[in-house]
Amino acid sequence: MSAVEVTHLRRVYKITVGVVRRSAKEVVAVDDISFDVHPGELFGLLGPNGAGKTTTVKMLTTLLLPTAGSARILGYDVTHQPERIRPRIGFIFGGERGLYWRLSATDNLRYFASLYHVDPEVSRSRIPFLLEMVGLTGREKEKVEGYSRGMKQRLHVARTLLHDPEVLFLDEPTIGLDPVGARELRHVVQNLQLEGKTILLTTHYMFEADALCQRIAVINHGRIIALDTPEGLKRLVSDLSVVEVEVFGSAETVVDRVRALPTVEAVNIETLDQRQVLQVQSPQGSEIVPGILNALAGIRMGRVAVREPTLEDAYVRLVGGDK
Amino acid sequence: MNRELRGNLRAAVAAGEMALRSNVMDSFVLFGLLVQPLVIAVLALWMLQDRGDNYAIYVVVGSGLTGLWSTLLFVSGNGITAERWTGTLEWLTSVPTPLTWIILGKTVANVTQSLISMVAAYVLASLLFGYPLSVSQPILFLVSIVLMLLSFVAFGMLIAPAFVLNPDVQRWQNAMEFPVYILAGFLFPIALLPGWTTPISYLLAPYWAARALHITSSLQGGTTEILASWGMLLVLTGVYFLIARRLFRLTLRRARQDATLGVQ
Repeated sequence: MSAVEVTHLRRVYKITVGVVRRSAKEVVAVDDISFDVHPGELFGLLGPNGAGKTTTVKMLTTLLLPTAGSARILGYDVTHQPERIRPRIGFIFGGERGLYWRLSATDNLRYFASLYHVDPEVSRSRIPFLLEMVGLTGREKEKVEGYSRGMKQRLHVARTLLHDPEVLFLDEPTIGLDPVGARELRHVVQNLQLEGKTILLTTHYMFEADALCQRIAVINHGRIIALDTPEGLKRLVSDLSVVEVEVFGSAETVVDRVRALPTVEAVNIETLDQRQVLQVQSPQGSEIVPGILNALAGIRMGRVAVREPTLEDAYVRLVGGDK
Repeated sequence: MNRELRGNLRAAVAAGEMALRSNVMDSFVLFGLLVQPLVIAVLALWMLQDRGDNYAIYVVVGSGLTGLWSTLLFVSGNGITAERWTGTLEWLTSVPTPLTWIILGKTVANVTQSLISMVAAYVLASLLFGYPLSVSQPILFLVSIVLMLLSFVAFGMLIAPAFVLNPDVQRWQNAMEFPVYILAGFLFPIALLPGWTTPISYLLAPYWAARALHITSSLQGGTTEILASWGMLLVLTGVYFLIARRLFRLTLRRARQDATLGVQ
């Protein structure tokens, strides 16, 4: 039996627009997605903002009802058996909300331990253990309002492990964290998987998905557009090379000229302070470099390099693959 | 006691403790609990001072009840809105403890704490105005207090689902405050109101609570009237709890459908 089974899951939000003439509008957030997560697997759901990741997680954690399709967690249906699922799962949504800021970390954990029906005897030993695990020992008596974002996020992790859940849903757990905080949190996630937890992780950080996940589903506009191992996804772009050109102040029209070059599959622009890095995917490898430099004539350029494609390039091809 | 019930009870107690802690830190609660009932008590005591000592206990009980209702309406309602703002409402609906138990724990704590309003009004009337305050039937008065607390908890549970379902309900709180003061006869008898409002008063548990407390504190009725008030209180409390249970079930399903739990 799969730990998570998602079958043709769909979620439509109804929103109203207009003040005087109000009309209802439907927004499809998740559009007929299916996937399984095996017990003990760390499964990634990768996609841009607004792709439907959080909506999917909210349906799987019983917070939202699906509009159509079904999902089962450890064999229980999310629509009809939420009370069976809740004691067996834990979840984190990225960000600082969801904690009582006026209380200390210990008081937050004590309260949630009661709500999760953790025996008081167990929670007395488990709370210090979890605080130690997430590196909050010594700060546990301070009010949460004084914590950094990373500390709050780690407290979220401790809270979600209070009842020792079998399946964890981590929705962009490292969002907004500094590099050190994000690395520490990834380490915690890795350890949880080593303990045998089934984890569904959503992220839009490629390296995070690549480093942590056994399989990744790429989701865009509510649909799963690829599902494979990180290596499998990278093979999608194994026929391509990536030319990286550092430019200063490139105009959209110039980038369009690069996009229009024959054999260019996709162009991704990464902005870094005053400069941009154009990442041009093409099967031609270094042979396309003169053409790119021609197209960029008149623009101040820096470093030019040709490299092997990464998971990020596979993602760019999948999500923004129409050049 | 089975494991689930024990867990739910423990969670309700923890939720009540949380409510008390946050109330202590909230100056708005102190206003609703102390300042507003005392202002009402002072005004009423001045206006009614010619009616004699017997009327003072009526005012004490009545202004205490206004504190109870305001606290129930605002603190319990705002509590749910605050949970939505801090993002904890979603969490509370996804834990093994049903939300009904969590809100029950908080409501019991809020209502019990609101008795402070009545004690404060008592102290004010006794010390500032020098009324010789005595409750005419203390034991029956205490029984009425317990039944009143139960009925207020049930009333709180009845209105809580609206706050869970819709963040905009908060705007209606002010409009709900005074009608209940008046229709429940907290400070003056409902006989002074137009006849068509009487059936509405009869459907409000706070009316029967106020009636039982007024009768047992100021000896303005006999045993039959007390028993009738208690009977109505118990019936309405039971009915409110049954409706609240159903409403919570419908509300939580609706909230999962409309995705309103996380709305700010």
